[in-house]
Amino acid sequence: MDIFNIYLPVAGIEFNVVLLILIGFCVGVLGGFFGVGGGWIVTPALNIFGFHMAFAIGTDLSNIFGQTIGAVKKHQKMGNIDWKLGLISIATSIVGLEIGSDVIIALEKAGDVGMIVRWCYMLLLWGLGSYMLHDYFATRPKEDDDIDRAGARTPANKSGQQKPGISERLHRITLSPMVSFPASGIDEVSIWIILLIFLFTGFLSGFLGVGGGFIIMPALVYLIGLPTAVAVGTSLVTVLFSGAYGCLTYALKGRVEIIAAMIMLIGASIGAQVGSTAVKYIKGYGIRLLFSVMIIFAGFSVATEQAYKITQNQTFQTFAGVVLMGTALSMSVIIIGKLVADARKERDKSSIIKKHH
Amino acid sequence: MSFRSIFVISALSIMLVSALPFFERSEGNAIASEKQETALTMKADTNHLSGINLFIARLYNEDRVLYATMVTLVMAVLGTFLAFVTDLILKALGLEVSRISHRE
Repeated sequence: MDIFNIYLPVAGIEFNVVLLILIGFCVGVLGGFFGVGGGWIVTPALNIFGFHMAFAIGTDLSNIFGQTIGAVKKHQKMGNIDWKLGLISIATSIVGLEIGSDVIIALEKAGDVGMIVRWCYMLLLWGLGSYMLHDYFATRPKEDDDIDRAGARTPANKSGQQKPGISERLHRITLSPMVSFPASGIDEVSIWIILLIFLFTGFLSGFLGVGGGFIIMPALVYLIGLPTAVAVGTSLVTVLFSGAYGCLTYALKGRVEIIAAMIMLIGASIGAQVGSTAVKYIKGYGIRLLFSVMIIFAGFSVATEQAYKITQNQTFQTFAGVVLMGTALSMSVIIIGKLVADARKERDKSSIIKKHH
Repeated sequence: MSFRSIFVISALSIMLVSALPFFERSEGNAIASEKQETALTMKADTNHLSGINLFIARLYNEDRVLYATMVTLVMAVLGTFLAFVTDLILKALGLEVSRISHRE
């Protein structure tokens, strides 16, 4: 594979171009489809293959910024972005992020903060993944069932009545001032609820040291009650802003390898367009199912990383990277496969209708 | 797509990715990486560089603000351009998007 190696002048290392494009493509598909940045995949992947951690983070953030521009544009075209909610999310999350990072600094004085963070990370990923899987099996709509609110639904009880979901219960709190989000189809909700939710997601981002896309997307669906596609698009707005800020600040600190970021962006931009387009064809519950499987696997990766920290056995660290990249690759294959299959189905359907006429 | 096919694809991908760590890392790469691990050098080595690599390394060494501005602008412009081109290709393949109804 040496013929594909190129020298990266800023990082001072050689790297495989094909690998860079492949990593970029996978993370692009996932980013456009799930509304996440994908830093939790790219950073460890680059690090495993020879990047210094600081360069891996900086280069990854630059790539996230570039790939998200196209994805946001596409989601905007599909009517999947609630800008008002997205901007509130950015402003509030910053406050939560600061609180989260302050807690980390306080815990650092007490002992090994890394261990605590990884345990919390695992609990969050598995907890969220299990909840979403449960929600999928409990509330999966039957064929031709048009329901707009995923997070607002919970399974019917024995008497056949629908129990109100978390978002419905939160919407009932009438603590003024009330705001509406027409782009998300939300007529009235207390602004305090919205601020508290984003404060919490921001706190988790700061505490776990992650971009936050994978926390914001489910929060928008299950706590605020957005349709999944709108949650994906709106989450990408937050990812775009954090990516832009991260790109600039890491480049100022000299931690961005521009050649690597540009090469990765070739794969990522194509992937992001494919991922965003797939949202048109795959229904909300399908997106949530794949998302839940993905974060459960990500939880396994964190668990393996934890095992490495405890045993110092290098095999665990390599395995953690393999699980992460394997998850990213398999999810990308599934999303593309589903996109192609559904697009074909739609084309066949429309050609039959044309023939009929 | 059934659950069975999802898990088969996942298993195959994980097997495929298992091979990735065996991508050979060149000796120079490993040494450079090790050196970076111990002390992150803030200056890029411009020896033996030419063309675009030399330009980037010099800019990185001499003007960090300009380098950061260039990185941000290049990512924005390249991201927009590639998205535009990919969009055209997808349209040609019949994968055009328009406003969608939000069905769960």
